[in-house]
Amino acid sequence: MTDQKLQAPGLSWRRRGRAIGFAANTTAAWLVALVFSFPLIWTFFTALKPGNEVFGAKISFIGSEVLWSNFADAWTEVDFGRLLLNSLVVAAISTALTLVIATLTAFAFARLRFPGRSAIFLLFVITLTLPSEVAVVPLFLGFDQARLADTWFALIIPGLFGAFGAFLLRQFMLQIPGELEEAARLDGASTWRLLISVIVPLVRPALSVLAIFAFLGSWNSFLWPLIILNSSDKWTIPIGIAGFTTQTGTQWELLMAACMMTIAPVVVVVAIAQRQLVAAIGAGAFGGR
Amino acid sequence: MTFVRLDRPEEEVADASVAPPGRPKGRLRRRPLGGPRWVGWAFVLPGLIGLAVFIVIPQVASLILGFSDSTLLGGTQFTGGENFARLLRDPQFINSVIVTSIFVLVYVPANIAISMAMAMWLKTRIAGRNWIRVIFLIPALSPMVANAAVFRLLFQQDGVVNQALAAIGLEPIPWLSDGNWALAVVIGVSVWQSFGYNMIVLGAGLDSISPDVIAASRIDGAGPIRRFVSITLPLVSPALFFTTVLTVIGAWQTFAQAYVITGGGPGNSTMTIMLYLYQTAFTNNQLGYASAIATVLFVIIAIFTLFQLWGQRKWVHYD
Repeated sequence: MTDQKLQAPGLSWRRRGRAIGFAANTTAAWLVALVFSFPLIWTFFTALKPGNEVFGAKISFIGSEVLWSNFADAWTEVDFGRLLLNSLVVAAISTALTLVIATLTAFAFARLRFPGRSAIFLLFVITLTLPSEVAVVPLFLGFDQARLADTWFALIIPGLFGAFGAFLLRQFMLQIPGELEEAARLDGASTWRLLISVIVPLVRPALSVLAIFAFLGSWNSFLWPLIILNSSDKWTIPIGIAGFTTQTGTQWELLMAACMMTIAPVVVVVAIAQRQLVAAIGAGAFGGR
Repeated sequence: MTFVRLDRPEEEVADASVAPPGRPKGRLRRRPLGGPRWVGWAFVLPGLIGLAVFIVIPQVASLILGFSDSTLLGGTQFTGGENFARLLRDPQFINSVIVTSIFVLVYVPANIAISMAMAMWLKTRIAGRNWIRVIFLIPALSPMVANAAVFRLLFQQDGVVNQALAAIGLEPIPWLSDGNWALAVVIGVSVWQSFGYNMIVLGAGLDSISPDVIAASRIDGAGPIRRFVSITLPLVSPALFFTTVLTVIGAWQTFAQAYVITGGGPGNSTMTIMLYLYQTAFTNNQLGYASAIATVLFVIIAIFTLFQLWGQRKWVHYD
């Protein structure tokens, strides 16, 4: 009896201590997250300020008026509509082609046996550690000689063959039980049919993650478009923003509005697909940063 | 977890169900039914050709062009090792190697340490943990150019960072007009942008550690430090190795941050090798000389990568 009496308050103290620890830990983590996201928060508020109030003596989030029209002005000032359309079209084409190529490659590695497979697979792995951006000069020279510089073809095609997509899909395809494949074969399915009707539907989750990564890869890409695109009517968003920042007398409120409109789609995509993205990144499917 | 092993690609970590190719074993590796053996080639060919033409051949061509005086319109003459001799005497180039080395030396450890610390913190009980993870991930998946433009605003002379310093009674810092501070800002935006990504890779590594192992070490009386060094670190080492190798490769090729925030300045203090390569090739039209820079950068990265692959046997544990 006495034991219980002694124990009961101890337990509740421990529980209370744990609850306080949990609350403190949560608060601290959210504070860090808040500080971390300050640059983006500040960007948002800057995008709504009048131009002459972007810099001031004191920190203030809101200027004398809230100018949503800055977003519209950015649209005309940097021709953001054109940049957005270009970026969307380029990213959509890149994504579709990446998915097709990665699926074919991954299928061959995961489910088909052919002479030289291990050697080719090794080649793919080695390219993961190749510093791709180092080779931009000959890549540019090649497209220039073929009179393809300053085209979307040259912009899109070198980005389609990264090996990470093929690895991710291969990983998923390896996990499909052989029985399904045998059943399809016994029903007389061709290899092509097997891929389209059995394998692809089963790896759809991996395909959607790969689609997101291919899209973002194209959306964010900077060095190659900067090199290969000359005419401003073909520019993508990052080129437009970079050009905007290097002009003298930057209109910061418009630039920040443009940045906001560039980052916002990413935020939406990441928020919607967070579980799948975290799983794929965690699997090392797209390398490190 | 299923990392591609960068040294032995046929094996994937913790994926024992898959037998190595060439030795058909188990139900996954049974002889395929139907279809001649060349069918596999047909499927792998588009990806293989693309990889060869747009990734492998440019790398080789870059090595060759480094021995030429190629320009955009002036044709190509081979000049032997002249470019490389010139590189050794080019103060701009030597400066860019030093700047990039400092960047790598600060950025990579900071990135890995913060990623690891945050990954471990997010393993503890936190309400809304998944959303915090998403917040950290957003900059890593946003355009570097936009992130860099944002930091360029924050660190203006009369920008919000200096306003905050003034508010607590400190002098303003010449962030972008002083060489050392400018490099610090470039490193800062890089870490801010990218650690959320590695945090998730390392977090997945931590998740794969069985709680039983931790519990057992606790019973054996291991303190937190001992637990970290003897249990957590070895078990997370494949993920740590993987992120480090790829982070180092990326760090040597840093470009967009410096291009947007400082343009390499002030006084070349943030001129990374990639930025110098870009200017040499596309502003000064010296494609051959730029390829020589690319070759040196390639060799630097290759040395770092091979060194890590060699060194991993000392600290990376695949079970």
